[in-house]
Amino acid sequence: MSSTKRYWQDLAQLDQASEAIQGRDNEFQAPLPIDEMLADKGLTGATTGRRDFLKFLGFGLGAASLAACETPVIKSIPYVNKPEEIVPGVPTWYASTYYDGQDYASILVKTREGRPIHIMGNPRHGLNRNPRLDKGTINARINSSVLSLYDGERLKGPRKNELNDSARTWEDLSWADADKAISGKLAELSAGGKRIVVLTPTVISPSAKAAIAQLRARYGAKPAAEGQPAAGGAQVDHVQVDSISYAGVTGANLKSFGLRVMPSYDLTKADVLVSVDCDFLSSWGSTTEHAWQYASRRRPEDGAMSKHWQFETRMSITGANADERLAIKPSEVAGAVIALHDAVARKAGAPTAGGGMDHPQLAAAADALWAAKGKALVLCGSNDESVQVVVNRINDLLGAYGSTIDLANHTWFFQGDDAAAAQLVKDMNAGQVGALLIAGTNPAYSLPNAAEFKAGLEKVALTVCMSTHADETASLCQWVCPDHHYLEAWDDHMPKVGRYALSQPVISPLFDTRQWQESLVRWSGGTGSYHDLIKATWQGALAARADAATAPPFATVWQTSLHNGVYEAYTNPNTAVPFAGDAAAAVAMAKKNAGAGGEWELVLYTKEGIGDGRHANNPWLQEMPDPLTKVTWDNYVLMAPSDVKRLGLQTYLGQESPASVVTVAANGVELQLPVVPAPGQKAGTIAIALGYGRGANGEKVGKAACLPNDDGTTTPVGRNAWPFVTLVNGTASMAVGNVTVTPTGTTHPIAITQTHLTHMDRHSVVKETTLATWSKHDPKGTYNHQHELAVHEDVNEDGAIDARDRLPVKEFDLWEEHAVEGVGHRWGLSIDLNTCTGCGACVTACTSENNVPVVGKDEVRRSREMHWLRIDRYFSSDMTKERAKEEGLGKIDMYLDMEVPSDNPRVVFMPMMCQHCNHAPCETVCPVAATTHSNEGLNQMAYNRCIGTRYCANNCPYKVRRFNWFNYVTDKFADVNPAWSELGRMVLNPDVVVRSRGVIEKCSLCVQRIQAGKLEAKKAGVPVADGAVETACSAACGTGAIVFGDLNDSKSRVARLHGEERAYMALEEIGVKPNVSYLAKVRNTEETAEAHHA
Amino acid sequence: MHSESAIREPLILGHKTYHDITNDIVAPIENKAPRAWYVLITISSLIALYGIGCILYLIGTGIGVWGLNKTVDWAWDITNFVWWVGIGHAGTLISAVLLLFRQKWRMAVNRSAEAMTIFAVIMAATFPVIHMGRVWMAYWVLPLPNTFGSLWVNFNSPLLWDVFAISTYFTVSLVFWYIGLIPDFATIRDKVKSPGMKKAYGILSFGWTGNAKAWTRFEEVSLVLAGIATPLVFSVHSVVSFDFATSVIPGWHTTIFPPYFVSGAVFSGFAMVQTLLLVMRKVMKLESYITIKHIEYMNIVIIVTGSIVGVAYITELFISWYSGVEYESYAFINRATGPYWWSYWAMMTCNVVSPQVFWFKKLRTNLTFTFFMSIVVNIGMWFERFVIIVTSLHRDYLPSAWNLFHPTWVDVGIFVGTLGIFFTLYLLFARFFPVLALNELKSILKLSGESYKQQAQHHHH
Repeated sequence: MSSTKRYWQDLAQLDQASEAIQGRDNEFQAPLPIDEMLADKGLTGATTGRRDFLKFLGFGLGAASLAACETPVIKSIPYVNKPEEIVPGVPTWYASTYYDGQDYASILVKTREGRPIHIMGNPRHGLNRNPRLDKGTINARINSSVLSLYDGERLKGPRKNELNDSARTWEDLSWADADKAISGKLAELSAGGKRIVVLTPTVISPSAKAAIAQLRARYGAKPAAEGQPAAGGAQVDHVQVDSISYAGVTGANLKSFGLRVMPSYDLTKADVLVSVDCDFLSSWGSTTEHAWQYASRRRPEDGAMSKHWQFETRMSITGANADERLAIKPSEVAGAVIALHDAVARKAGAPTAGGGMDHPQLAAAADALWAAKGKALVLCGSNDESVQVVVNRINDLLGAYGSTIDLANHTWFFQGDDAAAAQLVKDMNAGQVGALLIAGTNPAYSLPNAAEFKAGLEKVALTVCMSTHADETASLCQWVCPDHHYLEAWDDHMPKVGRYALSQPVISPLFDTRQWQESLVRWSGGTGSYHDLIKATWQGALAARADAATAPPFATVWQTSLHNGVYEAYTNPNTAVPFAGDAAAAVAMAKKNAGAGGEWELVLYTKEGIGDGRHANNPWLQEMPDPLTKVTWDNYVLMAPSDVKRLGLQTYLGQESPASVVTVAANGVELQLPVVPAPGQKAGTIAIALGYGRGANGEKVGKAACLPNDDGTTTPVGRNAWPFVTLVNGTASMAVGNVTVTPTGTTHPIAITQTHLTHMDRHSVVKETTLATWSKHDPKGTYNHQHELAVHEDVNEDGAIDARDRLPVKEFDLWEEHAVEGVGHRWGLSIDLNTCTGCGACVTACTSENNVPVVGKDEVRRSREMHWLRIDRYFSSDMTKERAKEEGLGKIDMYLDMEVPSDNPRVVFMPMMCQHCNHAPCETVCPVAATTHSNEGLNQMAYNRCIGTRYCANNCPYKVRRFNWFNYVTDKFADVNPAWSELGRMVLNPDVVVRSRGVIEKCSLCVQRIQAGKLEAKKAGVPVADGAVETACSAACGTGAIVFGDLNDSKSRVARLHGEERAYMALEEIGVKPNVSYLAKVRNTEETAEAHHA
Repeated sequence: MHSESAIREPLILGHKTYHDITNDIVAPIENKAPRAWYVLITISSLIALYGIGCILYLIGTGIGVWGLNKTVDWAWDITNFVWWVGIGHAGTLISAVLLLFRQKWRMAVNRSAEAMTIFAVIMAATFPVIHMGRVWMAYWVLPLPNTFGSLWVNFNSPLLWDVFAISTYFTVSLVFWYIGLIPDFATIRDKVKSPGMKKAYGILSFGWTGNAKAWTRFEEVSLVLAGIATPLVFSVHSVVSFDFATSVIPGWHTTIFPPYFVSGAVFSGFAMVQTLLLVMRKVMKLESYITIKHIEYMNIVIIVTGSIVGVAYITELFISWYSGVEYESYAFINRATGPYWWSYWAMMTCNVVSPQVFWFKKLRTNLTFTFFMSIVVNIGMWFERFVIIVTSLHRDYLPSAWNLFHPTWVDVGIFVGTLGIFFTLYLLFARFFPVLALNELKSILKLSGESYKQQAQHHHH
């Protein structure tokens, strides 16, 4: 039987009467009155004649065409000819590579309607890929770099500076004019036999090197090998200088193994890891690689957990993650390394040197290293070549080469040569440099001898700066030929032996800029683009390979590489290399270099957010709290709390408690900076972050780096500490001895996001234990104790109802269950306190994904930062409940003592976002039901419904709700909030609304991504696969600390993690039933943190 | 029906006649206001204008002009709200509850106390409205049929209960007050000579004729309204306390709050009545009507409610220890010893310790001292709300979020501004409205009995 029903208009139609059929066929059933109209006599009486009609017609046509001519062409017309791969509303992802001389990562760039808006690590390819979890590790600097693309202060075209004019004026030029003038000058200098120098950070791009080679071929009278002086005539040199120097490390490897390189480290193989002043997770070496490698050995469930010792001066991210940490002075670094060397050498039967530092922690570390021989690794952050030679020797004795250290597949990073840079500055001042072409670096700011460099610039006949901004260097050069942002440029990379990667443009250049390599190609007389050069270089390299005959054709290689972002050509077997250095001489030299520290010692470091200062223009990074101090928008002097107290300086920092300012002086350099008490800092030492104080002379270095005053001048964010860096034995040293610290009596406001330092021994917030305790697998009885309530029923079935009959609090429920358990999806997160390094990449990823406003220093100072995701940092305290009980201490005193962190505290990083409670306290109190529970377990916000009573924020036990105190897209926030400017607005994620003032916002678990993922699954007709949807934070977390998924899918990773014995809900006993669970922190120590201090 | 022991002091002193009462009460309306009134209203209205300016700045710029932050999302706003609501308790309590209990002494004070209630509730209601981030959407808290489909208010939210409780309380108090005013307006209408005022008071008196039927209905309506108003006196502050009691925040989540808040409200309400009446009786020469006895009675209410509040504070401390809940225990230790210890001890001193001096009859009948104490109690009760709101919020569960609250000039300006608006309204009331319930007062004036007694005594001698 047909299921199609038929309908009739009336019975006549049903009967198929002829009138009905006629009626159906005739559209106009009533006759049209055309004849009547034409017959109307009035028409003939109309005054408009035929000629007039034609005139009007002609005028009308003319007017219409004229009007059409004047209509501006609106470029935002949606794709009439739709590009094949772009669908409006659907993001397109491109694989690319981030490299800035300091950080390297394979990335995926998310573009919407042609605009890059988000960056994540490439989960399929690259050095930074965590193969175990299929996650691409990045850091906050890398995922925030998308915002720098839309910096309105980027240079918009080439210019010629009027250097004699103190008013900083310039002449805008066309590229053709600039090229003509510069090429002409280069030719003239070449003909005159002058030296031409290209100054860059480490170039790992084979094609960029080819471009430099082209320049050399064109202007060098006698082409010479790199670094070798040409025999007479003009010479084109390439000098590489890294802002953060690794010359000591690479130099030591040259001495020890004949290779001037940074080796590859494999922390996944390291059972025992000893780091001496090496912040390898955040600021030393290939951090995006180290982070995932390190974390993969930190989950006790996954087999042997590594043991990590850290000996360092300031509390670094790495030190905060260590199992054992000892604070040492910078002048003790060499001694610590020598002590380790001697202890290991003694066991190995090798000669010892003597004179090392004597400390039981060092002895214990050496014992553990030796016990884990072949699976041990020592890392050292010192840039002293001799210290690094000793470290190499230790690693050699431990059998690390061929195992945890790979020299056969070494990196090409950090090739910078401090000595060559120093020589260059000397040569410049001696008038021996004819032309200086600067790209990718800012020597006038970051060179230790920047003042001499600046003086030398004036003696160079041709100075060309290829930077993105009119920065410290560019404003002193004659010619400024602005570089692309890396998202606009083509590039290739060779991060390691046998490994290649590509960067591709994901947007047309926003301004009239040109990437510096292409400029070199032009000036060398080349006609093709840099893109052509890259292709040619690759084709050449492929053809030159020994296996060229069997290798896939170039077109395939190119396409695949472009798609994947990388090309992994080959890997050498990791074999041990014999140590050929002179350990005894190195020890002697190291001792000599260490010197006496004096009353105060200073270490310079780079922060997770700002790095070496190139990111200072990025408001996301300026507002990202420092992982340890939680300070934003400033650099400062880190000082041990005991020293702060001793000097009578401010110990508590808050909205109305500004930091005390001190004058730090060393080597003739003076700097006034606020003091931030830093638990874990070695007493008698201070630390200052580099990368601040950009644009101190009014240079246009980007908005957030330099904040405007009322009078139109600008004040740099922080102060520039680079002048403190000195060359010791030819390498830049970040440690400075004989420093004086003098309180000035003035104060400086500090914007800090966490004013309380400790967790007050609140075990339902932070749970931690030792590996030994964890190994007993009795979580409920030991570290993962659950709150219970006595009930009036025989729970334990002992026949009596008494106080021993208890049920866990989760069994009690005041409310009806939300119908989400086992029905449909229930989204949730699992956060592992063990693998969270605290780096903060999730914070900026969340900011980027969810259009979180930047509110500026003053508002952060008022504790009004808007981050949906924060990382709580807790220091341990010497005082615990157990200890107070033992000592019979009163509660008031106990709590007061608990507020004070230990001198050398243990640290817990706890990412905190909306916990998506199934019994959410915020939901019940909203008078207008603006925040409700979804049937997928999400606590959701309807911004449009919110009237802003903030009751929900008060009633949130986790304090994760954020209120829009102002309209952040107004002039008041113009200097900090990128969403204010038309250009900055391009970075906004169109899937997420920008919130108005007066409403509450908070983590949505990236509901827009969930919806998109569900839609994809629906289109494919399959259930949403585990891992198909990632929140911005979980995608950014290469260490796998944050895992997102469906809790109702019993096979999902997140459901499994919720069931692990380390799993707990924060504040479980208050019964809000979060969808976010944490995995308790396990430290590979002998004793508990509490016992350690008691 | 009415019987009275001969030794009890009369409620109205000075051998007043009915005519005297009418004259005394209507005189300020008929005559030119004293210079002091002009001075006071100038000051208070300027302060009021400043406050209104601050409110407009707040609404124009954003809640960020207050000192609130991510941890302390309510501070002076809700402190002021609860404080004003508390003050708004005395009037209705005096008129309704004391009416039901046939406490005749209330008649001299109920009119102005009720006026105070009305104005205080208006001030109170200002804060929940202006503290909203999007005040222009404030009407969304009303369960109005709307075009948003099935979008409805959240009946689980104590804030919504507040909306009902406050609006009901305000409406009933206003009607109750106005009904009481009708016969008095009629008296004024009949007495004043200016035709304009006659017309105005004629309209206000709703054509009151004063016949027996009207009086009967007046009495019935008063009694019915008193019956309705009495539970409201207890409900309104109970509901306000639910804002805190139903939450999960340590220091808020407390079952003792409803009775504790009500007694605290009565406590502060009576203190504010004292503040106002002591000034008014002096300025408007109402010493015969508002006698030392009234003052003493009210001081006794202050001791009783103050002591209840004190017991509540101590109970809270006990429970925080007895419960063994870590967070609860810390919340109270932190109140007394944390960064805001001074506000806790200000509260304890003003509310618990200081009213106990009223056990001395000499002090509770001393007008200057009573005035001083009324201010102390009001300060104490403001701190009580500050302690509950700010010190509970500033350090709750996660130490990472612990923070301090620092008020801005806008916080202060709006609070002071509401004091200005309140006093402006009250001064206008004192100038144009009968400040005492003159017709009701006549019912307690035992003119014939008193004169008979006096005559009898004269005879005796």
